[in-house]
Amino acid sequence: MKTIVIKECTDISIENTFTFDLSKITIAHCVGCWSCWWKTPGKCVFKDLNEFYHEYITADKAIYFSKITKGFVSANLKNLFDRMIPLYLPYTTYKTGESMHVKRYDKYPDIEFYYDGQFKTANGREIFEQYINRVFYQFYAKNISVMPIEKFCINRGKEI
Amino acid sequence: MRTIIINGSPKGNSEKSNSRIICEEFVRKMKSPCEIKCIANSDMEDLARYVEKHETVIFVLPLYIHAMPGIMMEFIQHLRPSSVNDKSLGFIIQAGFIETQQHRYVERYFASLAEQLNYNYLGTVSKGEAAAIYMFPKMFKKVLIKFNDLGRIYEHTHAFDNEIKQELGKPYELTKFQSHVFQFFCDIGLTNLGWRKFLKKNNAYDKRLERPFLY
Repeated sequence: MKTIVIKECTDISIENTFTFDLSKITIAHCVGCWSCWWKTPGKCVFKDLNEFYHEYITADKAIYFSKITKGFVSANLKNLFDRMIPLYLPYTTYKTGESMHVKRYDKYPDIEFYYDGQFKTANGREIFEQYINRVFYQFYAKNISVMPIEKFCINRGKEI
Repeated sequence: MRTIIINGSPKGNSEKSNSRIICEEFVRKMKSPCEIKCIANSDMEDLARYVEKHETVIFVLPLYIHAMPGIMMEFIQHLRPSSVNDKSLGFIIQAGFIETQQHRYVERYFASLAEQLNYNYLGTVSKGEAAAIYMFPKMFKKVLIKFNDLGRIYEHTHAFDNEIKQELGKPYELTKFQSHVFQFFCDIGLTNLGWRKFLKKNNAYDKRLERPFLY
């Protein structure tokens, strides 16, 4: 089983796994040009994520370690989310009863999403978790779990 | 009037920016139109400090992956909580998908963001099926008039008119019947005609289903 790690937390790492370290990489933001849909299908005009795209789309599981930023994902991770659209087709499907983009690839990795940080509003955690679940649902991940980072440490028997 | 409009689109002032068009239509019928600033190509820190001098901030943004574009999140990271209690924050979202329930995740976040920043939450106006405004502005004449009215009334009431907000937000979700009909249009290839035209124009039609990262 192939796993890929996308992390913003500097004190966690999983050995022998392709790791995309967002604490060291600043991702170019999506400019909304749609080149990946109607000019060079499947390819972004920016090349900085080409290796990432390959590793992600050939992985069975993607593990995220995200830092809560103003109650949301950081701009850097949001840029990564926005830049996922080359992995999907421009076409819309209504089979689930709502609008969704059509898959470009046959399969997408399962998601284990850990977040680190505090929420400053009463429903902040719920808003964040529902958003992350929604993102990966519409990215066609079959299994999605979104948890505070403490769960990772307990599950793996480690301390941060 | 102490309101500033912030265009949160990475396309900024480009003629291809639907958010720019909505910003301009929102202020068009005001007696003294609000200032509009773009996040794109701005110094984020300078713009954040400038924005904080205003009583009210209204963001106009495209929906990217069910939320604000990354560049707008970067700007949000530069905002600091207000030390006074009378400030307000509002949002206008435009998106490609038809139904505006797609916006509900980020609408809830925006309400919590206002709370975090000690701003009153003016609410979020959502418009779906808006991706082609810049291509065919005449087809969207009625929609743009609604944004004119929304801005004109806002200038008097300092609030988003509920009736216009409701109208712009329709449909909130698709009925079963609608999703079956739309899927039928997809199955017979009708909905993809627009994409087909652009793909052919760009000599990319034969490559439309390519999977370049499976190697």
